[in-house]
Amino acid sequence: MKVRPLLLQDIKFQYKYGFYFLYLVFSVFYITLLYALPVAWREKAAILMIFSDPAAMGLFFMGAIVLFEKGERVLDSIAVSPAKPYEYMLSKLVSIGVISTVVALVIGFSGGVIANHFYFIAGVFLCSCLFSSVGIILAAKITTLNQFILATIPAQLLINIPAIAYLFGWKPFPLLLHPGVCMIELCENGSNALFAIIILILWVVLVAILAEKAVAKMLRSVGGFKL
Amino acid sequence: MISVKNLQFSYTRQPFIENMSFEVKDGEIFGFLGPSGAGKSTLQKILTGLLRNYAGSVIVSDAEVKRHDNSFYENIGVDFEFPSLYEKLTARENLKFFSSLYKKQTDIDFLLERVGLLHEANKKVAEYSKGMKSRVNFIKALLHDPILLFLDEPTSGLDPSNAGRIKEMILQEKAKGKTIILTTHNMYDATELCDRVAFIVDGKLRALDTPRNLIMSRGASKVRYTYSQNGREEGREIPLNQTGEDSLLQSLLRENRLLSIHSSEPTLNDIFVEITGRRLL
Repeated sequence: MKVRPLLLQDIKFQYKYGFYFLYLVFSVFYITLLYALPVAWREKAAILMIFSDPAAMGLFFMGAIVLFEKGERVLDSIAVSPAKPYEYMLSKLVSIGVISTVVALVIGFSGGVIANHFYFIAGVFLCSCLFSSVGIILAAKITTLNQFILATIPAQLLINIPAIAYLFGWKPFPLLLHPGVCMIELCENGSNALFAIIILILWVVLVAILAEKAVAKMLRSVGGFKL
Repeated sequence: MISVKNLQFSYTRQPFIENMSFEVKDGEIFGFLGPSGAGKSTLQKILTGLLRNYAGSVIVSDAEVKRHDNSFYENIGVDFEFPSLYEKLTARENLKFFSSLYKKQTDIDFLLERVGLLHEANKKVAEYSKGMKSRVNFIKALLHDPILLFLDEPTSGLDPSNAGRIKEMILQEKAKGKTIILTTHNMYDATELCDRVAFIVDGKLRALDTPRNLIMSRGASKVRYTYSQNGREEGREIPLNQTGEDSLLQSLLRENRLLSIHSSEPTLNDIFVEITGRRLL
């Protein structure tokens, strides 16, 4: 298993390339904003921030990380190392997932929205893994940041719109099959949280499998030698 | 170590690599020479197991390369033409990370010292010169003491002193019994380092032999001399094996009238051009 060295490297990479500093800046900004809002809005605003930022950060940060690695050609060396594509992917999901969850907890405590710690942590972590997997799938196929930002727009719309609609009161039961909605349900400690956690796990497994295939293809295509 | 039989590969419907067969023996330095786009990079991708949808047989380390799992990479080291390093990490941090991906590990400081970078090891790679990055990249391929090394232009961007140091290390690896596949445009490196070279053009193997045999098979060495004739400098070129029959040379030698004399052998590049009709650079 190469997950441990890859995970340690990802943490070091994210620290050295300033990702944790960005998380800190965003956290301070969000908490300040949260306290500037009327108390009645605070709960929904906090959940919206957690959903749209720390959990979704994986989508953007993953794109940036993979693009940095492509740009510095380190993927060439990883492709011809004993590290397997799923190990490469897993270390990234976990490293981003943990920091997203920590930041979400800070915002969650500040906004006073954490009713059930287990569901809250599971919802944020799993949703982060889902967004990160989508980020990997998109980043694996593109070469520039502009292309990546464009490619994330449809993914964001698909994930965000039903979740935001659910958060603001449109709650038909079938919507719980949507992964973003599942996260809102978990963070709000809703009555269908157990169902939501199962659905979200299924989504994460499905998208992670696709991400693993995308990583395998990307590593085969880089490989260092250019035609 | 490597046995390739009837290899065929294509990115499109048009065949790219066609009916290629060759063998690389254990402990050999085997060079691939060819212009850009000739297929040598594709061939290396196949040999390193990255391209698996080929036809024919490619045996590396006693097994078909397309059936290897990732543990295959425990035994091969690849030095890429361009640095593949985390720029914001130091050389030592880079080497530690890549080393941690392998079961077998060697002394990082020892390798850094051999390429003259021990005292610069804690500098960020972004602050390194091109040559320093190339040297770190080279020792990165040796971190796990692999038995098979793929080196892609290992002396590219290096000054003569450091290029010499790297070539010496390549020969030391060969002396340890390592098999080395060298891809290069540099005919001098190929002549100096390789036991055998293969000329690749348009996905086909056009020649395969020792550099010496290739050079000698295409015309003998020549002797060129100049002399003074009626106050003007004249020159003449003859095959080395005909110097005994050249009466002008004999008389010039007897009369001490030679202004200069030197022998010249065709280079591997000359042979490459002659066989393939293409230039290496």
